[in-house]
Amino acid sequence: MPEETLIDRQFLEKLERLAIQWQRSFGGLAGGHNLSRFSGAGQEFLDHRHFHQGDDLRAVNWRAYLRLEKMFLKMFQVEPRVPVRLLLDTSRSMETGNPRKFDYSRQLAAALAYIALVRLDTVAIHPFAERFGESFKCAGGRHRIGPAVDFLSGLSLGSRTNFEELARQFISTYSQRGLVIVISDFLDDGDAERPLQFMADFGHELLLIHLWAEEDRTPPWDGELELTDLESGQRLEVSFDQDARQRYTAAFDDYGRRLQSLAYRTGGRYVGLSTSLALEDAIFGSLMRAQGVAQK
Amino acid sequence: MFLLNLSLGELLGLFAAASGVLVALYLLDRSRRRQAVATLRFWQSADRPSAVRHRRRIQQPWSLALQLISVALLLLAISQLRFGDPDAGTRDHVLILDTSAWMSARGPKGVLMTAARASALAYLRALPERDRVMVIRADALATPAIGFESNRRVLARAIAQSRPSSSALNLPQAFALARRMQRLESRQPGEIVYIGAGRIPRTDLGQVAAPPNLRLISLPPPGDNFGLRRLTVHRAAEDPQLWEISVAAHNYSRTAQTVRVGLLFAGAPVGTRTATLAPGEEKIIDFRYRNRSGGWLEARLLTADSFPDDDRATLEVPSEPSVPVTVFSDDPDSFRPVLAANSWMQARFERPSAYHPVESGIVVLDRFCPDSLPVVDSIWIEPPINRSPIPVRYVEHNVALARWRSDHPLAAGLRTKDLRLKQTEVFAAAPGDIPIAETDTGPIILARPGKPKMVLLGFHPERSEMRYELAAPLLFANTLRWMAPELFRRRELSATTVGGTTVTFEPDTDLAGLRVTADNQESLPYTLEGNTARFFTATPGTVRVQTGDRELVYSQILPQMADAVWLAPRQARRGIPSASTAGPANRELWPLLALLGLAGLVLEWQLYGRGRLPSAPAAHPAGRSEGMKPKRPRFLTRRRPPSTARRAS
Repeated sequence: MPEETLIDRQFLEKLERLAIQWQRSFGGLAGGHNLSRFSGAGQEFLDHRHFHQGDDLRAVNWRAYLRLEKMFLKMFQVEPRVPVRLLLDTSRSMETGNPRKFDYSRQLAAALAYIALVRLDTVAIHPFAERFGESFKCAGGRHRIGPAVDFLSGLSLGSRTNFEELARQFISTYSQRGLVIVISDFLDDGDAERPLQFMADFGHELLLIHLWAEEDRTPPWDGELELTDLESGQRLEVSFDQDARQRYTAAFDDYGRRLQSLAYRTGGRYVGLSTSLALEDAIFGSLMRAQGVAQK
Repeated sequence: MFLLNLSLGELLGLFAAASGVLVALYLLDRSRRRQAVATLRFWQSADRPSAVRHRRRIQQPWSLALQLISVALLLLAISQLRFGDPDAGTRDHVLILDTSAWMSARGPKGVLMTAARASALAYLRALPERDRVMVIRADALATPAIGFESNRRVLARAIAQSRPSSSALNLPQAFALARRMQRLESRQPGEIVYIGAGRIPRTDLGQVAAPPNLRLISLPPPGDNFGLRRLTVHRAAEDPQLWEISVAAHNYSRTAQTVRVGLLFAGAPVGTRTATLAPGEEKIIDFRYRNRSGGWLEARLLTADSFPDDDRATLEVPSEPSVPVTVFSDDPDSFRPVLAANSWMQARFERPSAYHPVESGIVVLDRFCPDSLPVVDSIWIEPPINRSPIPVRYVEHNVALARWRSDHPLAAGLRTKDLRLKQTEVFAAAPGDIPIAETDTGPIILARPGKPKMVLLGFHPERSEMRYELAAPLLFANTLRWMAPELFRRRELSATTVGGTTVTFEPDTDLAGLRVTADNQESLPYTLEGNTARFFTATPGTVRVQTGDRELVYSQILPQMADAVWLAPRQARRGIPSASTAGPANRELWPLLALLGLAGLVLEWQLYGRGRLPSAPAAHPAGRSEGMKPKRPRFLTRRRPPSTARRAS
């Protein structure tokens, strides 16, 4: 998907006041906008940005103000050691919905990456299906969003999801604790909750962004159906009617509640998003209410 | 119980076809559809137990049954299911509605046509609903207004649209048509109903054969009526400016009537006559009126009666035609007697020295030849020998007029005996020239047809020995008649009644060129028997009959009033039948069946239809709490998906 259609500039400009929020302090995870008991500040000049009300006046470039009569804020580069990790589901189950959950998740990942880059956080994007694919790491300001978008645009759908394998691989690869944002529909044939619990127990702070399409939660079909699982290829014959639809939705909601409980129980956060919700509403509404992002 | 529109076989066939289509569509609609989904884990918990939905081909039998019942009800509505015997009480009646001219007359309760329409509607109401009725409008021609029809609204509309015409009633033809239609078109003949005044021409009295199933709905008789039957105008033979006008008035009432007839020309009264008419008598009342100009002539009955339509007759009288005759002569007095005798000539006398080209009429050149020949018809008297338009061979003296060419119109009726002319010119005739009078040596009166016409006389009739002969003025008259025949055309104008008209011509009339034309100049069909021509018109208008020099104009504006009263036979039923004798009214079931069928379809759609919207799902509970502070769930359970679903692969 080209950059223009993945996310547009006007929308990115709206994200500049936001910052990714985490609850705990992690050694090596930098970010002046987050409370931290670890010292360390940027020394090397990196970029300018427009001054907003509430910014530190000490960082204002007064020379530029005298020359241009506009207030610019000087930004200094810090050297992050532990990035914010974005785990992006690229399994076949993300193909459903209109727009596709896969497209929606990539737009959401791009937006979160931009928010992090504006705040000089380091972001690592880890696409996954059955296993982790090639990851992408970016840092150093908003102008680095281009490669991130290119990376997201180049992603394609994989096969099935295996959270157990993913959790094992993730913990063995990345030993340092930090914020882990999981963007997925969490539709694993196995059990997704136990591996997520395992990751949380290991010390990561989880932000679970649960995506679903409307047809995933409320199937619009009636009558005799022959269903095919997009990931496993398994088939199932069912007779579907209004009562069955209600049972289906109840089971789906119950699963969402369990994920939410898992997140809260482990000190993390949970956001349930339907792809019918506009991305802007999702970020400034649902994600902000869940304290996944905050205005700084 | 029976079906009005379909047979049982047709109904079953249609139902079988519709049922087949329905079942096929139903099975197609309920067939298993393939769908790709993100996961199967929630479907397994939503699926119903297999014992309940075990392999049934028809998953919703009540839906299919409801559809089939609804379609059956709709088909029954279309086929018009009715109870009872299909033939019992269903009859086809013919309603003859009199629309003759008499129906415009006023009776004690108003215009007869209004009463006839009311009676016809009352008769329709008295009939059983299933009975069919055919409406025939009867005047001079019996015309079906609508075929056998059971829809009372359509019948009422046809009755309401019936208007009185101007012609008389032809009752034998109407009865014959009604019998024929019942014989050919009806399933079970009912009555033949006549509603009208019963006034027919006296000549038809013996020809009326009343049908045995006749019902007579008589109307109140109209009041006294006397009307005009003819207004005839023609010019008097002795005086072309004098119009002879005759008005024929007829008394249709049963008592003697004294009527006043007034005559108006261009709106101004010009005469009044009073006449007493015995019952059934027709009297001719004559007027004479002198007038050269044209205008509208109107005859009017000044005594009021019950039928004013035939109390007034109008005719457009044309102005008297004339032709200018310009005479270039040094001796005008010799022409005055012959030209002054004809009122259609406007003679003008001028000297040859004052010659000027004449552009219309006729020019007479007496012993004079202009430089250029006239462009209008011309009469040359003793033209100069060396300048004559037709060469003069020589001049003869004391010569006898040998013969007249009496077979030509120019010489018609001309005779002279031992007429010797002191001097005359003899012409050299060219091919095509017509010699009218000749001596033994050649023509002395010569006519050249063509355009313009030309007549040359080698002598002057009024200056020669011929002036004492009757042939002299006749020769001028024939010459003028040959050159301007329209002046001498005799006109007779008549205001008559519509319908058949008989014209009797004089025995010697040449009927080879007989033409009968209507207002729009189209020829009317006519019959010719000896000297009698007959033609027929059903609507008011003007008919022109032209033959030779005679033109008859018939302005057929008077209604044709029949003068005899037809009495129905005693055995004929009379009046409007009561509803009890007409049989019980049948109630139509098709609206109820159609409503039930539609209701069934709507019910099925509501209960089982795909258009039924799924109830809006509740908001995702986890999604609603996304903005809440993280908290520990109070209770968390894990449910295993039910194991009733089958995995195909």
